[in-house]
Amino acid sequence: MRDIIRLSLTLALVGILSAGLLTVVHGITEPIIAERQEEEYRQALESYFPGFASFETEEIEDDRFDLIYDGDGNLKGIMSTSVAMGYEGDIVYNLAVDAEGNIVGLRVVAHSETPGIGDVITTESFKEQFYGKSFDDPITANEDIDIVSGATVSTVAITNSVRRVIGVIGEEFMGLETIEVDITRVPDGVYEGSAPGLMGPIVVSVEVRGGEIVDIEVLEHEETPTYFIEAYPLIPDLIIENQHFDVDTKTGATVSAEGIVNAVEDALAGAME
Amino acid sequence: MSKETSLYLKDFTRGILKENPVFVALLGMCPLLGVTGFIVNGFGMGMAAMAVLVASSLVVSLLRNYIPPQVRIPCFIAIIATFVTVIDMVLQAFQPVLYEALGVFVPLIVANCVILGRLEAFSSKKPVARSFFDAVGAGIGFTLALVLLAAVREIVGHGTILGPDPESAIHLFGPNFEPMALFALPPGAFIALGLLLAVVNMLMKRFNI
Repeated sequence: MRDIIRLSLTLALVGILSAGLLTVVHGITEPIIAERQEEEYRQALESYFPGFASFETEEIEDDRFDLIYDGDGNLKGIMSTSVAMGYEGDIVYNLAVDAEGNIVGLRVVAHSETPGIGDVITTESFKEQFYGKSFDDPITANEDIDIVSGATVSTVAITNSVRRVIGVIGEEFMGLETIEVDITRVPDGVYEGSAPGLMGPIVVSVEVRGGEIVDIEVLEHEETPTYFIEAYPLIPDLIIENQHFDVDTKTGATVSAEGIVNAVEDALAGAME
Repeated sequence: MSKETSLYLKDFTRGILKENPVFVALLGMCPLLGVTGFIVNGFGMGMAAMAVLVASSLVVSLLRNYIPPQVRIPCFIAIIATFVTVIDMVLQAFQPVLYEALGVFVPLIVANCVILGRLEAFSSKKPVARSFFDAVGAGIGFTLALVLLAAVREIVGHGTILGPDPESAIHLFGPNFEPMALFALPPGAFIALGLLLAVVNMLMKRFNI
């Protein structure tokens, strides 16, 4: 019995001492770490938006958006902080967008992609492909962004994430309006539309008769066939069955499934105009 | 040379060559293979491990008469973990570039068997001064091995020394050199380590160390 007490006391004492030491060191280093990260972020802001005066932070779901203002209170641009799912883990990056919605900078803050392979996402030659593009551009793998072979997962991940983030920026801050599609008001006919999948654009043709979608066909895609069968023809069938776009895309090929839905929406949005 | 000095010298040099933690004892393979892509990272890891090793050696040696043998391993681990966390925070605050490069391997120093091995085999039984020299020696031996392996991998796998920071990186073979990426990757670490072990063993036999 006395032994047990002695052993426990020794362990407890070691624990208490170590906790005490850690608290002291943490207290010293914490503000320095926070200040350094803040400083690096401010430097990045300064390089993308020279002479900015202040910024305001808004958080939408998991993304952080800093709205950058100049001295007169005009919007100079937006810097987002988002996370893409890379090959080895999360890729945290900043996307800098000017007031017109053009990408002016892409900054990878933290990643754990394979050294010498997946880390091409941090190279200027890969990143510069995005510069000057806006939400009007497809920003799609194999269409206007060259994917690096050998590092497909890393480069596709960041491409798709950038497209999503710039879409959010367009809708939330730049007044980009999405056309509400009302299927019953689409005139009869066959329409074509396209939207990005995982590996490239997906092109569909949609046949509408009597205010209902009667047929959806995928004309072109660059998805991996073994995954794509999870989404096609399942997703078109679901859309036709329900006659709306809010179908469950959580399949084995979620990005392809969303691509098909978006392509159908794109086709009908074109028909509404 | 007095008897004491020669004892310290023996404790000190033993860890560097004769009982090198990597080349002879084959301890601490995980960080060894993980961070030796660049010389700078290997050296940084060696220094971090050495700092933890020396600090925990001193503490364990000081407390050796008070720690009951039944709970010595948990106590060692707690002491090592404390110093690792301290190093982790200090690196993050003052050496951010190195901190980024070492990544997950800093917290993993806790499980570095070089450290636990020295504590168990030496510091927990010997006086403070001898433990100190033993820890410094083993730390230098470990760093030496890291730097050697990193040098092989960086030169062959990247064609540079003092990378990855482009400002300090020196390209050895000019712009047309196509590096053997295999050596920059984990399998290359195993291959390079195997070759290095062979060379070191051969040299040690040759010179009777």
